Amino acid sequence: MNQSFRRFAGAGLRQGLMLLLTLTATAMLSALLIGSAPGIGMDERQLDLRLSERSIDAIRSRRFVTGVGAYLRDVVTGDWGVSISLGRPVRELVRERGGLTLKTLGGGLTLAWTLALGLSLILEDLHWHGPERAAALLAGGLLCLPAAMVALLSVRLDLSPALALATVIGPRIFRYVRNILAAWSRMPYVLAARARGAAGLALVCRHICIPAAPELLALGGISAGMAIGVVIPVETVCGSPGVGQLVWLAAMGRDLPVLIHLTVLVAAAVSGANLVCDALRAFLERAT
Amino acid sequence: MTQRVSRAILIALFLGMLGAGIFAPYPYARQFRDEIAAPPARAHLLGTDPLGRDRLSRLWYGGRISVLLAPAATLLSVGIALLIALASVILGRWWERGVKTAIDLFLSLPWLFLLLTVRGLLPLNTPPAASLLVTFALLGLLGWPGPARVLIAAAERQAQSDYVLQTRARGCGAWRTALRHIAPNLAPVIRAQFWTTAPAYLLAEANLALLGLGIAEPMPSWGNLLRELQNPAVAHDIAVWIPLILLVITMGCCQLAEPIEEASL
Repeated sequence: MNQSFRRFAGAGLRQGLMLLLTLTATAMLSALLIGSAPGIGMDERQLDLRLSERSIDAIRSRRFVTGVGAYLRDVVTGDWGVSISLGRPVRELVRERGGLTLKTLGGGLTLAWTLALGLSLILEDLHWHGPERAAALLAGGLLCLPAAMVALLSVRLDLSPALALATVIGPRIFRYVRNILAAWSRMPYVLAARARGAAGLALVCRHICIPAAPELLALGGISAGMAIGVVIPVETVCGSPGVGQLVWLAAMGRDLPVLIHLTVLVAAAVSGANLVCDALRAFLERAT
Repeated sequence: MTQRVSRAILIALFLGMLGAGIFAPYPYARQFRDEIAAPPARAHLLGTDPLGRDRLSRLWYGGRISVLLAPAATLLSVGIALLIALASVILGRWWERGVKTAIDLFLSLPWLFLLLTVRGLLPLNTPPAASLLVTFALLGLLGWPGPARVLIAAAERQAQSDYVLQTRARGCGAWRTALRHIAPNLAPVIRAQFWTTAPAYLLAEANLALLGLGIAEPMPSWGNLLRELQNPAVAHDIAVWIPLILLVITMGCCQLAEPIEEASL
């Protein structure tokens, strides 16, 4: 017991170190990338003839990426700089918009997982070819649509961004969940249970879903990463003022201080979601 | 049967779009200033857009760009991934570990986010031809981590197989083994990666275009043509929806042309 706990804690520590390494590397890479972007450090105010030479020199000497070390120090001390296009502190912008994005992500992921898992469980229980094919066709059809197009259609139909997000990631989750459950349902012990007359959702939940839980949890982490990517076009097209829309505004306005911090933030969110899912999976595997 | 039909449709689309210069009735940028947003008629079978350009011609030329350049970007990504996988077989564990860490780093950022960020770092007011190259080069250069992860695993399996041990025992060098013996045996995995990645690039281009970060006007692409749907004044016109229908057909055929059991995550 003690030894297995130590192994579990060791794995957790390793994962935590990996997360730290990923974030540091992401911060360093984005700082380097931004430092070498064409036109970096140029300010249109330098061309303003009304400004004095001293003012122009002061603008020219103001560099927001002074080096990777300085950047990392600023991040740790909580100084995320000021957005060029919006003229406000990046930290304030993220705090202001984060709540809405979390709400959209939470709602979309919950809806997508409920639909994907629910439909997969029903299909697994029924074993009917017709609904199975119809569901595969629907999922395949939805996968053919660009995320921004789904968002546009949701605006036309007056639906919420969370629903658009669920429509984009739901079919992907459904496909993976369906494959995982189908693989477990072909296990000899499940076939034996069916042969003995066991049927219904109880069989599916007890003998297929519970053993498949670690894989489903891993998929949970991946789906969080997918949702964070999809929330950008969804919020932009739906006009929802969240962090996703901020990414787009920053990309359109070449607002590099915002882009650099959001890159680290998104890497942290995706890695964190995977870390939590991995820890839960390890815990579940240890428990069973 | 389904596979054959899908492939036939894809080939027909590919050849049709290649012949845009022959089939399209007008140049894609030509404006008919007396026929702004005209409905379908004999002179303009799909009507004209709000700038008076023939929709059918733009659809044809746009299709040529999307259908040619998405596979080209895919070839670039898969080519980079193949080189990395072969290098991991030749150069050994330190290279492999380094590459796997880099892949983890890349994959910790969502694909669309990475694409938007890097596109945002590059100049936005570029000429249409430059924006076309930038968009598809970015897709090709940023899309290698997914295929690389799969190809490295496949190359490792091949490197540990008996025939590779035998070729090495006969004195065949590491480079020769990788290029002459391992690379040809990776063909099915490369094909599967191609069919998984190419549709993703078509969608990515459409997403970028819908967000205003794609190919610059007046050059058309299917993604650019979808932007017309954002205008409620013309969205009721069925001709505006044709690029979306073509995109869905192409994506569907790509899914069916090479059925892959475990799509890459």
